[in-house]
Amino acid sequence: MIARAVQAHTAGELQLAERLSLGLLEIMPTQCDALRVLYEIRKSNGPPNAAETLLRRLIAVDPNDFKATCELALSLMNSGGLAEAELHARNAVRMAPENAQAHNLMGMILTEAHKPHFGEYHYRRALHLSGGRDPILMANLAWNLKNQGRMEQARQLYVDSTALAPNVWQTLLGWVRLEEADRQFDQAAAILDHAEKQFPDCAKLLLARAVLLRRTGNFEQALAALDQIARLSSDGALDADELLEKAALLDRLGRYDEAFSAIEDANHLARRALGHDYLAEPAQGLATRLKGFFTAERLRNLPRAGILAAPQPIFVLGFPRSGTTLVEQMLSAHPRISAGDELPFIEEITAVMPRMFSSPLAYPEALAELWMADFRDGLDDLRDHYLRRFRQLNLMERDTAWFTDKMPLNETHLGLIALMFPGAPLIHVLRHPLDVVLSVFGNNLTHGFFCAYRLETAARHYVLIMDLVEHYRREMALRYLPVRYEDIVDDPESSVRRMLDFIGEPFDERCLQFHENRRFARTASYAQVTEKLYARSRFRYRHYLTQLEPIVPILRPIIERLGYGPV
Amino acid sequence: MDLCSNWMDAASQHRAEPTIHMVPLPLVSVLKIAAEYEHAGRYDDAAELLRTILEAVPNQRDALHLLGVLAFRKNDPLAAMRLMEQAIAQGASPALFWRNLCTLYERTGRYKEAMAAGRRAIELDPGDAQAQHNLGIAYYRLLRIDDAVACARRAISIDPTLAVAHFALAEALLVQGEFAAGWEEYEWRFQIPDAGAPMPNTDRPQWDGAPIANGRLLLIADQGFGDVIQFSRYIPWVRERCPDLVLACGGEMLSLLQHNFPWLPLTNRLEPSGHFSAFCPLSGLPRLHGTRLETIPATPRSIYAVPDRVADWKRRLDVLSPGPKRRVGIVWAGRANPPNRSVSLSMLAPTAMPDGLVLVALQKGPAQREIAGYHGRAPLINLGPEIADFSDTAAIIESLELVVTIDTAVAHLAASMGKPVWIMLPYAADWRWLLGRCDSPWYPTARLFRQETPGQWEPVVARVAEALSRMSAAFPACSGIETSCGSRCA
Repeated sequence: MIARAVQAHTAGELQLAERLSLGLLEIMPTQCDALRVLYEIRKSNGPPNAAETLLRRLIAVDPNDFKATCELALSLMNSGGLAEAELHARNAVRMAPENAQAHNLMGMILTEAHKPHFGEYHYRRALHLSGGRDPILMANLAWNLKNQGRMEQARQLYVDSTALAPNVWQTLLGWVRLEEADRQFDQAAAILDHAEKQFPDCAKLLLARAVLLRRTGNFEQALAALDQIARLSSDGALDADELLEKAALLDRLGRYDEAFSAIEDANHLARRALGHDYLAEPAQGLATRLKGFFTAERLRNLPRAGILAAPQPIFVLGFPRSGTTLVEQMLSAHPRISAGDELPFIEEITAVMPRMFSSPLAYPEALAELWMADFRDGLDDLRDHYLRRFRQLNLMERDTAWFTDKMPLNETHLGLIALMFPGAPLIHVLRHPLDVVLSVFGNNLTHGFFCAYRLETAARHYVLIMDLVEHYRREMALRYLPVRYEDIVDDPESSVRRMLDFIGEPFDERCLQFHENRRFARTASYAQVTEKLYARSRFRYRHYLTQLEPIVPILRPIIERLGYGPV
Repeated sequence: MDLCSNWMDAASQHRAEPTIHMVPLPLVSVLKIAAEYEHAGRYDDAAELLRTILEAVPNQRDALHLLGVLAFRKNDPLAAMRLMEQAIAQGASPALFWRNLCTLYERTGRYKEAMAAGRRAIELDPGDAQAQHNLGIAYYRLLRIDDAVACARRAISIDPTLAVAHFALAEALLVQGEFAAGWEEYEWRFQIPDAGAPMPNTDRPQWDGAPIANGRLLLIADQGFGDVIQFSRYIPWVRERCPDLVLACGGEMLSLLQHNFPWLPLTNRLEPSGHFSAFCPLSGLPRLHGTRLETIPATPRSIYAVPDRVADWKRRLDVLSPGPKRRVGIVWAGRANPPNRSVSLSMLAPTAMPDGLVLVALQKGPAQREIAGYHGRAPLINLGPEIADFSDTAAIIESLELVVTIDTAVAHLAASMGKPVWIMLPYAADWRWLLGRCDSPWYPTARLFRQETPGQWEPVVARVAEALSRMSAAFPACSGIETSCGSRCA
């Protein structure tokens, strides 16, 4: 029966292969070949969750199934489940430490998971294992280096890769995006011209063209490029990324209703394609447990980590799209402050803490181990873990005393941060909640329990997090400074002076020339922070009041508490 | 068999459709029952009866009035005021309604209306001592102190045992600096109904100020924490007359008082204070001392923080606000009584604070929650959750340059420590801040910022902010704070 199923699948008789596999799995639920056949079928035409489930079943039957492990890691990475993807990729490396594919997978996942320095190691390992001249691995490494801001090295790798394999569109696309991010627009256009000649109907290249045209102010032409993508697609429609780009263009052209409609369509597609929706219960559950643990009474009896003379973090906190990238770009232009970008280590510590404390409890309850004699200095260990992980990134510039960590939603763990780094400045970037939620909805973000795919869930998660921040502020003494994005736009110098004074560093004019800061920001804001401050992002929600009406009641209490005027 | 049993038996035979017999009662009887409920503290039962009356007889005057009284009892003076106004609007209202309305207007900050209502009550019943007292309070709130004194004296002449009127007279005399007569009237405070009795249940006498050579004197830290701090300056004077002393005080004060009076046995319970020959509340010491305006025992510093705690808190503050920052302690709310002395944090910490300032919140209690909603320019450190007692507060104050506060215990503590303290006062401030002054003979380092219009805090806060800006411009951080206010009141 299994042989017939495999044969049917090979012959393209998918319905027969599916029927046979399902029949066999009814009798023998752990039959690996049937699971594989069914997985291949679901992978090609089923919902991604179904294919992933089958991979999990395969791995449960045979934990050493290397192929299934790699496939699952890749699938999870593509659907935004980076933390779990990393677990499986690590297993792949454990199973086959000499396998270039396993290291390539680790490289890809770590690069996407904001750990490009660790990703670089695995790419180089993969290159070494494959003989050192694999053009795809070279292109992957180039993308990784671009994410680290090492533009020249990345550029050279693209040159070398395309010399070996001149007609790989993914490589050319990566190179175009490198040049675009590095503001070498002419160079990007030239590479794109070359790529389009080879692949005239490639939607990804056309999308890159649209982005380039937008960044150079040619909005109508950019829209035309997107129209071309739609004409070329089988269903005459754009995918989620293309729709979001179209929305950005329509917004710039003042066609707000159409822009919002494109955002809605994009999120609808993304939800369907990735199978994600807001994980409301886990989000609420975590918030409830954090509030339950971090109370004034308990905090009075918890130790604090010691403060080291070593460089200290500045936590730039804020919901995604609040202006944290802008603040980091300004601060890191200061000669005493290095940019750490989005460091994933606080979230990582919440995961490893129970193991480090030998606790049967999860975070945050595992912090109760700090009351035990053998873990009284446990917070020092957590602090050192964070600092060691940061040192591994080699991001600290010479003569700097501080580094920024602007991982969005780190404020979820404000209590833990204040215990680990009681002297670290906590700069909370605030922006009009409607602007934040609108912008989150208009960008393909996976932060915050996948809240961003719906306007309402983005608003609900925003309220949840702000409520949590208020809880921490009530219950704890924090070195906390709220900074409004709108104030930064209105009066950058005053805001920069205030932040530097709070940190304890003298004012430096260079912080106001942040748009000349050649450091590359990897996040969705990278294009904005290379421009001078502009006012159009301030109170942008006013163009979308009709569309935002359903979430105004959700956000109104916080809008009022933050002191913004009536909507 | 009694009536109640008869009804139960009948009901048990007709479970499906029990018959409810309606027994008509005269309105006055129902009102009487409602009033009895109110006296017994059964407010919900009383309210239900009154609402039943109002359903049958809308706008029934007495029911509206009593419902207003209930709303007041349930701490809703605004609703009480509206009901009382509605009752009076029905016409032919007795003096009692106007008397009560006077109090409600006073509690809700409508002092001129309170004055008018009080006058109307007296017109209707000039012999009502309580109405005279209520009107006197309204006058006090408007700083018409002579009128307040006259009202209190009239009330006392009608009813010499009316303790609240004596106390009101005391406050009106003391606020004018007439300490000799004021202290005598002030002794009535323990006779006020519901004022609480800090005195021990004892046959021992209250101390008269004469030396006690062979006997123990029990001092009682009565009234609020601010009073304890203010009057603790008299303890050395008492010791000269009664070497054998013991002080009963709240747990929050123990550590601080122990440090400052290491020779003084302390207890935080009255019962285990052992045998004593006489007792005396701390708030009674100024009278026994014979304090007059010109003889207030004011030293630059009477309270010291515990050095170990100072070191601990300094380390904590140096972590939370390192560098040469100007640390300003703030307190914006006190207990509900006396009313009108609290502001909101959002009002106290305006966005136009000068740069280089760090606000250190010393606030305790429910108002501490307001910190979560603070998004002003100056960083604000919430130390409230970590403050266990007044020793902590004193130790923190030691690391501050200035304390800006409403009239609460922290004001007395900072001032007793000789720290610059700026105190924001309501229009009719407590007697100890006297009248029209921007300094205090009790505290050389205190600077008073008074309301110029009842209820108007914004101009007060603006003057404080302006003074902070001037201070920031004139003095770099850590170089000292101006404490005098010159000839002009802030």
